[in-house]
Amino acid sequence: MFLRLRNITKRFGSVTALRGVSLEVEEGEFVCFLGPSGCGKTTLLRVVAGLETPDEGEIRLGDRNLSEVPARLRNFGVVFQSYSLFPNMTVAKNIAYGLECRGWRRDAMQERVAGLLALIHLEDQAHKLPHQLSGGQQQRVALARALAAEPAMLLLDEPLSALDAKVREDLRGEIRDLQSKLGITTIMVTHDQDEAMEMADRIVVMNEGVIDQTGSAAELYERPASRFVAEFIGRMNVLRMAPGGGIGAVCGGPGAPGAPGARRFIGIRPEHVELVGAGGAGDDGDGAGIAVGTVEKVVYLGSITRITLALDDQKLLVELRGKPDGLAHGARLTVRIPADSIHEFEESAP
Amino acid sequence: MTQAPTQAPTRAGRLSPGLDIDRAVPAMLAVLVAVPLLVFVLFPLSSILIMSFSTPDGLGLGNYVRYLEEPKFVQIVRNSLSVASCATAITIVLAYGFAYAMNRSAMPLKGAFRLIALMPLFAPSLVQALGVLFLLGRNGLINRTFDLGIDIYGFWGIVISDVFYSFPHAFLILSAALAVGDARHYESARMLGATGRRIFFTVTLPSTKYGLMSAIFVVFTIVITDFGNPMVIGGDYSVLATEIYNQVSGQANFEMGAVIGMILLVPAALAVLVERWVARRSFSVIGDRYQPLAIGRSRRFDALMLGYASLVCGGILAVVGIVVFASFATLWPYNMSPSLKHYEFDVQNGLQPLWTSIWVSLMAAVIGIFFVLIGAYVVHKYRNWFTRCLYFLSILPAAVPGMVLGLGYILAFNDPANPVYLIYGTLLILAICNVYHYHAQGFLIATTSVKQISDTLDEASTSLGASFLRTMRRVTLPIIWPSVVSVGVFFFVRSMVTLSAVIFLISPSTQLAAVSVLLLDDAGNQNQAAAFSVCIMLVVAAALILFQLVLRLFGAPAVSLMK
Repeated sequence: MFLRLRNITKRFGSVTALRGVSLEVEEGEFVCFLGPSGCGKTTLLRVVAGLETPDEGEIRLGDRNLSEVPARLRNFGVVFQSYSLFPNMTVAKNIAYGLECRGWRRDAMQERVAGLLALIHLEDQAHKLPHQLSGGQQQRVALARALAAEPAMLLLDEPLSALDAKVREDLRGEIRDLQSKLGITTIMVTHDQDEAMEMADRIVVMNEGVIDQTGSAAELYERPASRFVAEFIGRMNVLRMAPGGGIGAVCGGPGAPGAPGARRFIGIRPEHVELVGAGGAGDDGDGAGIAVGTVEKVVYLGSITRITLALDDQKLLVELRGKPDGLAHGARLTVRIPADSIHEFEESAP
Repeated sequence: MTQAPTQAPTRAGRLSPGLDIDRAVPAMLAVLVAVPLLVFVLFPLSSILIMSFSTPDGLGLGNYVRYLEEPKFVQIVRNSLSVASCATAITIVLAYGFAYAMNRSAMPLKGAFRLIALMPLFAPSLVQALGVLFLLGRNGLINRTFDLGIDIYGFWGIVISDVFYSFPHAFLILSAALAVGDARHYESARMLGATGRRIFFTVTLPSTKYGLMSAIFVVFTIVITDFGNPMVIGGDYSVLATEIYNQVSGQANFEMGAVIGMILLVPAALAVLVERWVARRSFSVIGDRYQPLAIGRSRRFDALMLGYASLVCGGILAVVGIVVFASFATLWPYNMSPSLKHYEFDVQNGLQPLWTSIWVSLMAAVIGIFFVLIGAYVVHKYRNWFTRCLYFLSILPAAVPGMVLGLGYILAFNDPANPVYLIYGTLLILAICNVYHYHAQGFLIATTSVKQISDTLDEASTSLGASFLRTMRRVTLPIIWPSVVSVGVFFFVRSMVTLSAVIFLISPSTQLAAVSVLLLDDAGNQNQAAAFSVCIMLVVAAALILFQLVLRLFGAPAVSLMK
């Protein structure tokens, strides 16, 4: 195992940012910490970088205990959301800074800087000051600066969130390419699930200072371990489930009042809901997984059409391919929820 | 398993762990600035506190009771209060109008007006009284010309001088308050049909109430603790600040000095508390939907404001200008032909006090930069109970009038048993005294500059392998140097013009320029006093111009010295 975090706890005054987080990262892996703001993902990255000292827990890199190693000796490349280029230094000087700290020879330094500038396609900007570059260029320089001293790991703290949508898209691919070319172990913090799904080998979903689930994008999407993950990764209908009841109970069937203790939910991705037919008819046979609702909203999105269906007091999102007919507002619609696409969650009563 | 990656060899070098002092650095720095704050601020203050309660029968309220029963003493307190209230009222009204004209009208010449309004800050703190004497004194321009027989010595002399003296402070505070105006309030008032007058009283005035309150307290404190002007123009009219000097320097009555010192601490401490309270509150004036006020042109209003501002600036220029003029007159007021003979400085130590002042001011600038910046850095960067105490100690001097601090230094350090006694009577103690006298303002300037450095720049540097010292040298200082220099210039200028505090600490061999002005005036040599004042103002002006030139030369953005 390359990087191993064990039981990391970090408190800021009365706020606990991390509650006993454990995680292992393989060499060469691209890992994303994903979660809403305040979930502790940035704190966890800063603990790895050595910029925060955990109150409890252990960090190991290979067979070395990092806990006592200060940030400046960890040899990790860090890229910050705000670029954080030194405004008083040129692009080349910024990139060379880490090499200078390590006492590199001048000629070796120049060669390395030139190589990195080529890598980020900014050869002709070497002598500009940071404020003369665009946001995307600045962030690429920051990336080159972080990579210059051949760091053991690359740590990216929301590196794309300050950029325009278009630049962000381009840079996603560029960072990912660079990472696989160099084979450098990378951790990136993001709150953008698309970014995480596109870039990461493995996504670590965090919520309220703990890791909810780790896995590949497909694993998280197909087998979310919790309601939080299900709703955070992609869209998920979450419906109340009557105690002991099946799907029928959910879909407007007579349900018993909620029992005390754990509440149970079922989840269904909008694209897994199947259209049976228009009108209230079509209730053919056993009634399992069949629901009838009223169309509340129809949004045509090109490749799909997203329909909001009202089922008594609950709402169901349905995504259908193309542009089906007869979906006017107020229409009655019968849908089927296939049993094999249902996820079940528990949530302790508040 | 993989190799230990932090040890991965690089082509030409690696990070040397060396002495990893980085973790110890913050603690060391905090102690480094805390110790002198304790020694040079807290200790002198506690000495005064103890002295004011020491009686022949041990600690007690004896001194307070004794002096408060003395009719003469009660009269002095009453004098101080009436001078301060009267001067405060006049200054606030004048400065509010001036700040209003500067911020809410489209009158021309704002830059020049601002420069003139701030001029009193850069003159020795008794020039106002000197100027008023040249204008309104027995041998003043007005009495000589119109033969009115005005006697300006006393109450009105002090009030007028102190209005000029405190004007720039009031202007700066009120200007800051009037600079922010939410256009939406003014628009809605106008839409509701309010007249200009009504808008002023229902929108403008209430929205500046915090600034107004702060200005009132600050001006009151400046006036009641002012020493130079009452000394020059007070005549027989005693106020607390001059009395403390007479009691201590003239009669070595330290108990009474300490009691007066404690009394003077009250308004100053109140002013600081009000300012802190106001600072916390006035943030809410600018919400996220704030719409800055656009100033429209209005011929009549702009002309009116221009007239008013010219009048105020004319007054300030007259007071300073007459001093310059008198310094070149052969024998004021009898022979006004120009002459340079007052610049020969044939009495006392000649020009020596000016050089001494420059030297002390340079020392204060260097010491000030060093300690104040480190203090601001540590307080801003590391937040814990210790740095909170450090912050409190750093701004505490704002609540300590110069006369009180100076007295504290005598009580605390004029004692061979105290190690600081080694530098007592030297120029160094004068420089240190100036640094801690103006520590709060210097600290606030330094804090603004330290805040320019975002935390992530430090962290980026650290994560790239830079030590604390390298980060300072290569990143922090190159970015904030203009403000670093401005802190130095601030201490230099304050040290050049200050009179209180150091007045207790000088010896014949460590005479300072501002004190020389006072002594020359006291000896009846007003022309030379004027000439000496002009020299001080020239040095200050030179320092400020040099500072601006250096900034321009190195392409640094403008830095404001007014905090």
